[in-house]
Amino acid sequence: MVDEPDRRGFLKLATCAVGGGVGLVVLAPVIRLVLDPAGKTTVTTPTDPIDLGNLDLIPVGGDPRKVNIVAPLVKDAWTAARDVVLGAAWLRRTSPDKIEALSAVCPHLGCAIGWDLTQQNFICPCHDSRFSAAGDPLSGPSKRGMDPLPIAVKDGRLQLVWKQFKADTAAREEA
Amino acid sequence: MIDKALAFVRERTGIGEGEARTIAGGPSFAYVFGWVLVFLLVLEATTGAALAAFYSPSSTDAWASVAYVQDQAALGWLVRGLHHHGGSAMAIVAGLHLLQTGLYGAYKKPRELTWWLGVILMALLLAWAVTGYVLRWDQAGYWANRVEVGIAAGTPVIGQQIRAVAIGGNDYGNLTLTRFYALHIVVLPVLITFLIGVHIWLARRHGTTPTVARETAPAEPRWPGQSLRTALAMAATFAALAAYTANQHGADLAAPADPSAAYDARPLWYFRWLFELRVLAGSWEKIAALAAPAVVAGFLIGMPILDRSPSRAPSTRKPILGAFIGLLALIAGLTVVSLTSDANDVELGKRLATLEDRGDKARALAVANGVPSSGGLDVFTTPPMYRARALFEQRCKGCHDAASKDRKGPIIAPGHGNRAWLGGFLAAPSGDAYWGHTKLAKTDAAMKPVELGPGEQADLVELLYSETGAADAKTDARDRGKVTFDKACTDCHSMEEGTPGTSAPNLFGLGSREHYFSFVGNPKSHLHMGPDSSEMPRFDKELTLAERDEIAGYLVWLRTATAADVTALGPL
Repeated sequence: MVDEPDRRGFLKLATCAVGGGVGLVVLAPVIRLVLDPAGKTTVTTPTDPIDLGNLDLIPVGGDPRKVNIVAPLVKDAWTAARDVVLGAAWLRRTSPDKIEALSAVCPHLGCAIGWDLTQQNFICPCHDSRFSAAGDPLSGPSKRGMDPLPIAVKDGRLQLVWKQFKADTAAREEA
Repeated sequence: MIDKALAFVRERTGIGEGEARTIAGGPSFAYVFGWVLVFLLVLEATTGAALAAFYSPSSTDAWASVAYVQDQAALGWLVRGLHHHGGSAMAIVAGLHLLQTGLYGAYKKPRELTWWLGVILMALLLAWAVTGYVLRWDQAGYWANRVEVGIAAGTPVIGQQIRAVAIGGNDYGNLTLTRFYALHIVVLPVLITFLIGVHIWLARRHGTTPTVARETAPAEPRWPGQSLRTALAMAATFAALAAYTANQHGADLAAPADPSAAYDARPLWYFRWLFELRVLAGSWEKIAALAAPAVVAGFLIGMPILDRSPSRAPSTRKPILGAFIGLLALIAGLTVVSLTSDANDVELGKRLATLEDRGDKARALAVANGVPSSGGLDVFTTPPMYRARALFEQRCKGCHDAASKDRKGPIIAPGHGNRAWLGGFLAAPSGDAYWGHTKLAKTDAAMKPVELGPGEQADLVELLYSETGAADAKTDARDRGKVTFDKACTDCHSMEEGTPGTSAPNLFGLGSREHYFSFVGNPKSHLHMGPDSSEMPRFDKELTLAERDEIAGYLVWLRTATAADVTALGPL
């Protein structure tokens, strides 16, 4: 039983078409599903001001104080978690009515910035970027000063808006 | 073009060199099942890899991550459904494969090893399904697994050790999931893929087994005649699978695993025959559940030994074929009996409908509020002010709800403690909505209506209203109200913090969270109603501080709420 070349050619083509078609139909939803998180805000942190406690906790003058920023509720894909530490801010009260907040995230590559007690300036432990007490860049690889965070006092309590910025750019852009 | 592509590969790799492979007796749809199983294996691997990119094998997160795939990730329901029902398809096609090769006598010399490997693979496929079903950590998967592990724990001598190894310790928890996950996505896939490789290698070595009638027909090339039949069978299988999955909107997902809740545990459908057998066996259930699979496996493995004649003609194999078909028919029959008896059980249907509602509710809450990091079951506590409302429902409603027949105190409803409520109270303290239902209202100690000029009355309301801490209280009216209060009310009441009134409650902070917290804790305190004037029980011993605070917060919220706001909170 020998088929004519035409018929065999058609059968070969049909086999590949059916097989390939099934493969594509299986792959399409799988790829769509795997790519789904890339287009979504999967971790939702509060955009409202976050309470950092009493203003009285921050003394006027002196060294900056590091305060943890604790979000009351963070939605992370399927989880809704309470009291999640988002990061930290350095707070400086220059006069009784004036308070400033600087993000502890280094604008260079995102390490946590510390306060150098002896030199009285900020230092990033990863690549030795230094910043003045006001957050201005002094030395090291950082292309900009420390990122200020909006802070206000309401009914005697500190209210801070948590923001994250793009790393390693001269201009400050929200991430 | 296809020939050119194949030639390209052949020249460079050697794949496809030598004689073109032929098929004895010509191509047939009877031979497609093995390759359809390979296709389903690839489908399970592909969809499984995507699901693994979302799944979290922890007892607090597992259900939530599955619910996320099912209800929130794009096409997650489809991929999960294909994976779940693909497992069912594998069981069906593996059954057909077994039936076809058994009927054709493909277990006979020299194909015994191929057959035995197939039987082992069948058992591994079922184990694969068992290890996958528990991962969803919903009521269905959790309870089915508890029963399955319970049966395994009935194994003589080493039963408890089997259980401890399977679930990872003494009880169900994180280690149960991580272990079953490791088995499901690493150990079993690797083992099954390897054994299938050997199975295929052996099958190719011996070739397909034609029917006796076609044995004398000339062999034909496999490609493309048999290949097209295989491709068409794969396409048909996938079409049926996709249609069923779309029709079911993926796979079911019940409420999160709840060790405290009764659940009608049922195994996956391919174990239904065992489930039914267990019911029939009565007090012998454990023995039946353990012995029956051993008998079936033993018979299948024994077939090449019991039937050693070289003839494959069915007429010469009547006893063994009869037993083979009878066994498969018995399994199919028990499966059908089990499924139909469940379907005809009205009471079970009602229970299942309730359970399904609970699952739907849990999933809707998970979409709306997320699942607390404390665990899937806590999703039920995520409606706004859930704890306070649940407590109010249990502990307060009987005496304070407008609809309650046994109401003993003032109505607590939206607007409780706002200006209108305070004004109404001053005008008629023993009015029906206020203290009218209390014993106090019927005594001389009851508060008399306050009869002042309209301006003074309004100022007094503003004074009391400002005690709640409401931001919209008017300070000038409040200050005038304080003058009136000192003139008209201080014979009985006090407004100084911590100073009991002469014969009536201290009104400091009235309607504030702190006030409600204290009042609910001990209404009989001298600062509140006093020991003789209140029928309300103390709650400071019965509720935790946190619960009391939640109730207080809810009462404060009610002041500014409307009935529509309460409805908008949704059901508990």
